[in-house]
Amino acid sequence: MSRPTKAPDKAPDRITTPITGGVGESPLRPDGTLKVKGEFAYSSDLWMDDMLWGATLRSPHPYARIVSIDLSGAWQTPGVHTVMTYDDVPGEKLFGLEHTDQPVMAHEVVRYQGEAVAIVAADHPETARRAVDKIVVEYEVLEPLTDAEEAVFATDAPTLHPGGNLVRHLPIRRGDQHATADVVVRGEYEVGMQDQAFLGPESGLAVPAEDGGVDLYIATQWLHVDQKQVAKCLGLPNDKVRLMLAGVGGAFGAREDLSMQVHASMLALRTGRPVKIVYSREESFFGHVHRHPAKLYYEHGATREGRLVYVKARMFLDGGAYASSTGAVVANAATLGVGPYEAPNVTIDCWGAYTNNPPCGAMRGFGAVQAAFAYESQMDRLAAELGLDPVEVRVRNAMAEGTTMPTGQVVDSAAPVAEMLRRVEAMPLPPAAPTDSYDLRELPGGVSNTTHGEGVVRGIGYGIGIKNVCFSEGFDDFSTARVRLEVIAGEPTAMVHTAAAEVGQGLVTVQAQIARTELGVERVTIHPADTQVGSGGSTSASRQTYMTGGAVKAACEKVRGLLLDIARERLHVEGQLHLDGGKIVSDRHGVLADLAEVLGDEVIDETVEWRHRPTEALDPTTGQGFAHVQYAFAVHRAVVDVDVDLGLVRVVALDCVQDVGKAINPDAVVGQIHGGSAQGLGLAVMEEIQVRDGKIRNPSFTDYLIPTILDMPPMKVDVLELADPHAPYGLRGVGEPPTISSTPAIVAAIRAATGLAIPRCPVRPEDITGTA
Amino acid sequence: MKPFAYTRAHTVWDAVAAVSAEPGARYLAGGTEMVNLVREGQESPDRLVDIGDLPLTEVRVHGRGVRIGALAKRVHEHPEVRRRLPVLAEAGLSAASPQVRNVATPGGNLLQRTRCHYFRDVRFPCNRREPGTGCAALRGVNRNNAIFGGSEHCVAVHPSDIAVALTALDAVVHTHGPAGERVIPVEELYRLPGDEPNRETVLDHGELIVAIDVPPTPFAARSHYLKLRDRASFAFALVSVAVALDVRAGVTHDVRIALGGVAPRPWRARAAEDALRGRRFDDDARAAAGEAATTGAKPLPHNEFKVELVRRAVVRALSEVEGR
Repeated sequence: MSRPTKAPDKAPDRITTPITGGVGESPLRPDGTLKVKGEFAYSSDLWMDDMLWGATLRSPHPYARIVSIDLSGAWQTPGVHTVMTYDDVPGEKLFGLEHTDQPVMAHEVVRYQGEAVAIVAADHPETARRAVDKIVVEYEVLEPLTDAEEAVFATDAPTLHPGGNLVRHLPIRRGDQHATADVVVRGEYEVGMQDQAFLGPESGLAVPAEDGGVDLYIATQWLHVDQKQVAKCLGLPNDKVRLMLAGVGGAFGAREDLSMQVHASMLALRTGRPVKIVYSREESFFGHVHRHPAKLYYEHGATREGRLVYVKARMFLDGGAYASSTGAVVANAATLGVGPYEAPNVTIDCWGAYTNNPPCGAMRGFGAVQAAFAYESQMDRLAAELGLDPVEVRVRNAMAEGTTMPTGQVVDSAAPVAEMLRRVEAMPLPPAAPTDSYDLRELPGGVSNTTHGEGVVRGIGYGIGIKNVCFSEGFDDFSTARVRLEVIAGEPTAMVHTAAAEVGQGLVTVQAQIARTELGVERVTIHPADTQVGSGGSTSASRQTYMTGGAVKAACEKVRGLLLDIARERLHVEGQLHLDGGKIVSDRHGVLADLAEVLGDEVIDETVEWRHRPTEALDPTTGQGFAHVQYAFAVHRAVVDVDVDLGLVRVVALDCVQDVGKAINPDAVVGQIHGGSAQGLGLAVMEEIQVRDGKIRNPSFTDYLIPTILDMPPMKVDVLELADPHAPYGLRGVGEPPTISSTPAIVAAIRAATGLAIPRCPVRPEDITGTA
Repeated sequence: MKPFAYTRAHTVWDAVAAVSAEPGARYLAGGTEMVNLVREGQESPDRLVDIGDLPLTEVRVHGRGVRIGALAKRVHEHPEVRRRLPVLAEAGLSAASPQVRNVATPGGNLLQRTRCHYFRDVRFPCNRREPGTGCAALRGVNRNNAIFGGSEHCVAVHPSDIAVALTALDAVVHTHGPAGERVIPVEELYRLPGDEPNRETVLDHGELIVAIDVPPTPFAARSHYLKLRDRASFAFALVSVAVALDVRAGVTHDVRIALGGVAPRPWRARAAEDALRGRRFDDDARAAAGEAATTGAKPLPHNEFKVELVRRAVVRALSEVEGR
């Protein structure tokens, strides 16, 4: 197998410029104070005085044939401006992130509960909702297909899409397929359907433009992929569909697919008025994809010394009604299915299936989360079988730089898995559970007064995860950055313009830091993200600091080069020049001039399209190939107190070691690790969309529970910086890894406390009391 | 949402008259429940009568016990409540979140509606919401539903924490209604669903809770509220237990045990009380009480676990209160 090669990017010549707020510092986020004070304008706050409000009629059935739709009641509602269905879609009728399989509105059949059937624009949101209620749809209700395994293998399963029910099957075959081992452990695991639970519901404002196009203000993760899909569905060229990023209240993968983008645009173009759509909280649960629920069957074979001989796995991911990014999620689960371990022989099959359950797609951790819950559970089983310590068995099998992955890819940058495990193990443990007087909040049940120590057993568990950073499998993954340097009011000022979506992770801060460091300019403004500049790619796969950060760095380098050319010309000097603290500096002559002086009235405005090193597609029969750009790792040690009588869990400690290559913004890095760990805690002990017969039972934050401050312990975080020579500044993507490892660590700790097998997450009280 | 009229009442009798006069009128107090019900479609009133200005906000200790105004805020923080009625203070603190507790009222808390998924999701049939449509919970996900007191028409549970504590304290509510004033024990405020699950309480239309009276009892001071839920705060009970004990010379003289999260109303566990009364208050007695508390349980397919949780929670609550 060939390995793509490319010279690694050099770190900048002088990363230590005395500029404040540069790379490696933690300047305040420009949006931080506004958000804390409740003054930040989110997409749901968008307003135009003459705007109309859109509302959506959704299917109450997970699977049904549409017999008829009677829109007359909606049309007759005073205040209604238009009512539209599938028949009114002006362009392509289908859209989709990877496969165009999802109708803009349902056509003849509905495939999940909540699928859009009709849309209305009216002069008031309540009018629009009432008009929606007056639409009469006659359905012929069909038996929903709700099991992914059945969808793929049952011969009598209904066929939900023309190509069948299989979205993707990826086999991974490495080494001896008939290897045997002294010690064998098997397990079946299940992961429930998690929601991204962002706080800002889907919302946007479409404004009809004079050129017949539309300007769409939208909260999204990827402006250009939205633009492409919206333009196709509207039958417009891309340049007539202009997107501006509105304030995004969290994303976590749930905004990678379209929600109301085409609908609002259709209504705006039809009525000639701006149209705003805001989903309610309940509607939001039906308006975006969720994390794939998974069923995983694993078998690990090892020597008596605890070295893995083989790993076999069969995984089923329920993709729900439409493909979304199921194909890529399948690839992640399969290629990362062994975890951060050396295994010479690997047999993995992963299936992603269509069902009539809610559509599933991107969520932080993206396939790696489901696999990690299973392979980490297996490593603990192996440790128990061998009488080894859980850390020891992991260290004996830890992958490292130079390891060959199950895909045949040789890991070519730091993979300090063993060291991370040892470091987290060496962190001080929290004090033992108190036994007499103490703060109730420190015990399972907290202020619910369930215990003063009786029935409480402590457990410790470890989890380690691996994640690919950036887009994989030969995808042409790039980001575009425009950097403009000029003197404004005597002060050199840089403006950075990208289409990369700030979704709360802190990218705008990082972009400014990079510009400061590269240009030696303190004043940096960030242009609002829009489609007037080239694509920044998706804010997902932990890729934006790497990709858009890389693009901003490259654009700054180009601007700097041009500036130094101007300096050489104007100052009549030859040879190597540098920018240092706003000064033009020569190696030989020292400080020559101020940047502002040299630049004068000149404006340098450069746009760069930047790519990471190329990857390859995976062989469809063996799953072999150089598919991933970069690997990232996090390890957690969870300490839990479990009230074994009452089934309550208190996570006492959730300490983490993560290698980030280079912490561009250390505070933001730690923030990502806190947030990711909390999201993993949610999946471990409470977060699940309950679906029965294809219907969601808990579409609210009263019933879909996410951790509060009382559930989440303070964390000790150890950030390693082992540079990846292929990445800008040596950085490694940060956002996803902590979400992957915290779930298995917590569940392992619960198992250690209770002695129970616990094959499923989230873990509920009845799973612990044994009375489920 | 249907349009509705909004008026503010300035006296109790104005409020009662305004609501009594219109079948479609409802009271609005803190609004943490009613506003959601109106927005989500479980309630579609013609008129909301805002009683937030009424002088019902006082917590007063007097010779006959503690009187809690129906609009008193954060009752659980009141020093006399904490001292005299620990079970009520603990139940109040375990309810909702600080933000909700800042605006919610005791009267509204007692009259909040069930959190049954199928009552809350108006796309499903629900006899409690729309009589005669059927009960989707019986065949659906019924993990959170009742194991006591349900019927073939409804298996919803009452979500209040303080109602459970007040039941264990022999508390009563004072009401003003179109037919005058009356006093109702908290336990009797609620109807079991039977074949009329839409009639949730014994209150007449327009009848307003103005105060809660907790009488002086020998068991109130030694009382405890224990709540089991899926996360550490801001979640409704899977099972909760209120216990109040009068133990003299090691023997249980009198006791109240009420359960929450398991029945359409606060569920008095009388068999458990009987298992303790007149006996030594020891491990055996507590185990017997736990066992007795499950008497008559009729679990549904997804909530069998609640039966065992009730048994264990009662034992735990009695052990916890012993240390007091």
